[in-house]
Amino acid sequence: MDLLELRDISKFYGNVKALQNIDLTVKQGEWLAIMGPSGSGKTTMMNIIGCMDKPSNGSVVLEGTDISKENAKNLTNIRRDKIGLIFQQFHLITYLTALENVMAAQYYHSMPDEKEALEALERVGLRDRARHLPSQLSGGEQQRVCIARALINYPMLILADEPTGNLDEMNEGIVLDIFKQLHRDGSTIVVVTHDPEVAEGTQRTVVLEHGRISRITQNENK
Amino acid sequence: MYFRMITSSLIRRRSRMIVALLAVAIGATILSGLVTIYYDIPRQMGQEFRSYGANLILVPSGDDTVLGYDVAERVKTFIAKDDAVGIAPYRYGTIKVNEQPLMAAGTDINEVKRTSPYWFITGQWPEADKEALIGQEVADLIRLSPGSRFTATGTDGGGNSFSRDFVVSGIVQTGGTEEAFIFMSLSDYGDMMGNSGGIDVVECSISASQTALDDIVSQISENIENVTPRLVKRVTESEGSVLSKLQALVYLVTVVVLLLTMICVATTMMAVVTERRKEIGLKKALGAANKSIVMEFLGEGLLLGAFGGLLGVALGFMFAQTVSMNVFSRPISFQSFLIPATLIISVAITGLACLIPVRNATDVDPAIVLRGE
Amino acid sequence: MFLRMVKGALFRQKGKMLMIAFTIALGASLATAMLNVMLDVGDKVNQELKTYGANITVMPKGASLLDDLYGIEEGSGVSDQYLRESELGNIKTIFWAFNIVDFTPYLNTKARLNSRNDEVELVGTWFSHYLNLPTGESLNTGMINMKSWWDVSGEWLTDQDENFVMVGSLVAGRNNIQVGDSITIDIGGQTKELTVKGIFDAGGDEDEQIYAPLRVAQEFTARPGLISRIEVSALTTPDNELSRRAAQNIKSLSIKEYEIWYCTAYVSSICYQIEEAVTDSVAKAVRQVAESEGAILEKTQLLMLLITILSLVGSALGISNLVTASVMERSREIGLLKAIGAHDGAISGLVLVEILVTAVVGGISGYFAGLGFAQIIGRSVFGAVIDIKPMVIPIVAVLVSLVTLAGSVPSIRLLLKLRPAEVLHGR
Repeated sequence: MDLLELRDISKFYGNVKALQNIDLTVKQGEWLAIMGPSGSGKTTMMNIIGCMDKPSNGSVVLEGTDISKENAKNLTNIRRDKIGLIFQQFHLITYLTALENVMAAQYYHSMPDEKEALEALERVGLRDRARHLPSQLSGGEQQRVCIARALINYPMLILADEPTGNLDEMNEGIVLDIFKQLHRDGSTIVVVTHDPEVAEGTQRTVVLEHGRISRITQNENK
Repeated sequence: MYFRMITSSLIRRRSRMIVALLAVAIGATILSGLVTIYYDIPRQMGQEFRSYGANLILVPSGDDTVLGYDVAERVKTFIAKDDAVGIAPYRYGTIKVNEQPLMAAGTDINEVKRTSPYWFITGQWPEADKEALIGQEVADLIRLSPGSRFTATGTDGGGNSFSRDFVVSGIVQTGGTEEAFIFMSLSDYGDMMGNSGGIDVVECSISASQTALDDIVSQISENIENVTPRLVKRVTESEGSVLSKLQALVYLVTVVVLLLTMICVATTMMAVVTERRKEIGLKKALGAANKSIVMEFLGEGLLLGAFGGLLGVALGFMFAQTVSMNVFSRPISFQSFLIPATLIISVAITGLACLIPVRNATDVDPAIVLRGE
Repeated sequence: MFLRMVKGALFRQKGKMLMIAFTIALGASLATAMLNVMLDVGDKVNQELKTYGANITVMPKGASLLDDLYGIEEGSGVSDQYLRESELGNIKTIFWAFNIVDFTPYLNTKARLNSRNDEVELVGTWFSHYLNLPTGESLNTGMINMKSWWDVSGEWLTDQDENFVMVGSLVAGRNNIQVGDSITIDIGGQTKELTVKGIFDAGGDEDEQIYAPLRVAQEFTARPGLISRIEVSALTTPDNELSRRAAQNIKSLSIKEYEIWYCTAYVSSICYQIEEAVTDSVAKAVRQVAESEGAILEKTQLLMLLITILSLVGSALGISNLVTASVMERSREIGLLKAIGAHDGAISGLVLVEILVTAVVGGISGYFAGLGFAQIIGRSVFGAVIDIKPMVIPIVAVLVSLVTLAGSVPSIRLLLKLRPAEVLHGR
């Protein structure tokens, strides 16, 4: 079943064409990588998939509904209910503990539940670090908190922007293992990256160049 | 969770929040301090103006040439206890010293100290019996100095002659008619002249506004027979005009200082909040509605405003008290309405100052905020 | 490159820098306004206190106040001493001439009113007199300026009203005199018919007197060019230990003390200078007015001083607070500068120069705004312009630069301690 469908979308920033005529379908349970050099439109595409931006042309269909014409408020609601975001810079709220950062996502979604938040941290192996502030955590740990936060509301789509870009090799491994586990559990994951190693683990790799899809590779081993 | 987020933000971002709290507290201190002073100025300055001496005098009216001995006590019932600075009765009569005719005045020395604080005394005020305070002119005329003795002679009300010895306790200079008098206690005066007459004049120094004085005047003339109360215009009118100027001065200064301080507080708060645009973007990316972001910042602002305001009330009162003790050597009266007023104003200003930048920030696209490092 | 970076920061972050400049301007304007008002409030309040009337009386040497008293008849201990009207202008030539606000001469005589036996006092005086001074200047002075509290029904006299008088309310009440009535005045057998132009309520001893223009009184009493008393209203400095000692005995002062005393506007030194200027005169401070003026002036100045200090501290804290906040905000930028190899000194220099340039802009505009505020206060409270004191400029300049430095240095130090990696990789 198709979870997300991009139909002929384009995005212009003034005269700059960030994306041109993109068609892409993401299936339920799929693990997809978007690759490309800097300036190829990766970020713009991620913003559009993550409901943080709207395309200039074309439509975005999420679970059969066209969301490309929704206003900012509705987009916020869709993002809150259906999408889990993971950032390269982690973007944790500095004055909240790991646990509270996870709970903040619950709070904006519905009701904070400390037990559930603790379980989410346990899944990423951080139960004993739950009461630490982001400044007391290593980069890998912060990224794991970020993942726990993305997962807490059971999103349909997990969208990760360079999730390993700021991590060393060991932490990169840990994070990728978590993604693999999520994939095994049936989550739909879109990873934006320019690290071939990350892309290798996915089912399909979409390569962007100058705002167009230049190549789609199926990774046979999956 | 809401409360937890707000308090965490306030406690864990300590240095920034101290900056903001300090800003609010400064504003609140200036607010409560200046307003307390502004309210207390008329009272405090009014007390100072009493150094101009009596502003109400009582003279006999009708057929009587003197007032009863109890007139001072009766007048007191029409004046609020704290307002009556001094009420000095005077009896006047002629005595002779070295065969020179001179005016003697019998009065309540302790009250005179209060009604005429401007008297410049060389030597001391009379304390014991048979001590007299003499005017500079008298001292020059009969060559007396503090400590020297003189004999007063004359005839009393009954026509009997008397002779009494006095010690000069001090010499008074005023630049006015008082310099030609010999002042002594009422009992010494009565001992010489007898007590058949009465009080000639009562000088009252009352700390009150013009309207309150007018009120006292009409009450006295209605309720005490044969007494004409007269306001000393030179003192009352001038006091009114100068005092109103002073109050206007403090009022304007207060308004200007408050205005500038409040804007200062607002800009600081705005700077503190603007800094957190990234956080706002992140919360939006996490799916927070604009409303809940606004609510969070507002909550922080209100909490800050309340704490800062509370701190400011205390500091402001301490400041006003310091000013009052230094300037007037009197404690200041605390205006209890200032507690809620200061709190409300500081909460309102911080809230408002938070809202403007938060509103701007919530309009921002989360994607741009997150990416635009 | 340094200049380019400073320029970049200033112009490309215009909004932020404008806000800092704005706050500094607010603080500076507050300081300017308060300092100017505080420095001038003494003079202004002193002017206001002139409504209390004269604070110095000048009398002939040997004359006595005794004739003022109830019950003691003229002749007993009263000498026929007078001052000369022609010397009045000399009062405006003394060292502190500028501080003499007004003066009025008086000539008092006993007179009989409407052929009754009880005597009243007739006073000749200037009401609003135009006087050419020996210095070539001119002056308008007299009673109307000095007795602002008098309540006059009818009209004030002018100095040209030869056939008119003003009557005190008690005299008028006793004798049933109305404005417009004719009264007969008898002095030593000479009589004169005069019209009542005004009846005044002074709330004091003057209510028992009748006032006429000085020239009328002099002709009437055959004492041309003579006066018995002068009241002087002068701006004075509150008394202190030195002036009190001088008032008691000038000879007790050392030469240096004498000079300080003579060159300060103490009421006693002004009295002394008047005595030098007017032949055979004794000038006395009216203590009721002089002392009280001193007390009120002192209190007002102290009050304003403390309020000024509060607002200075307030604006100082406000400014340094904002500077701290805005410097701390730039942690990321500073981290980046360090990452590309900037030394601590270079970074501090950059931030400081930026802030100081902003402070100068804010401080200058704030100074002028503050002058505006001071004038608003002066105009609406005293109806007069507040003097602009140049000494405020260095005070405000030092205050603003100290305060911005105090606000930025600790936060810069704090930021320099940060490791660039931490700052850049989202702490």
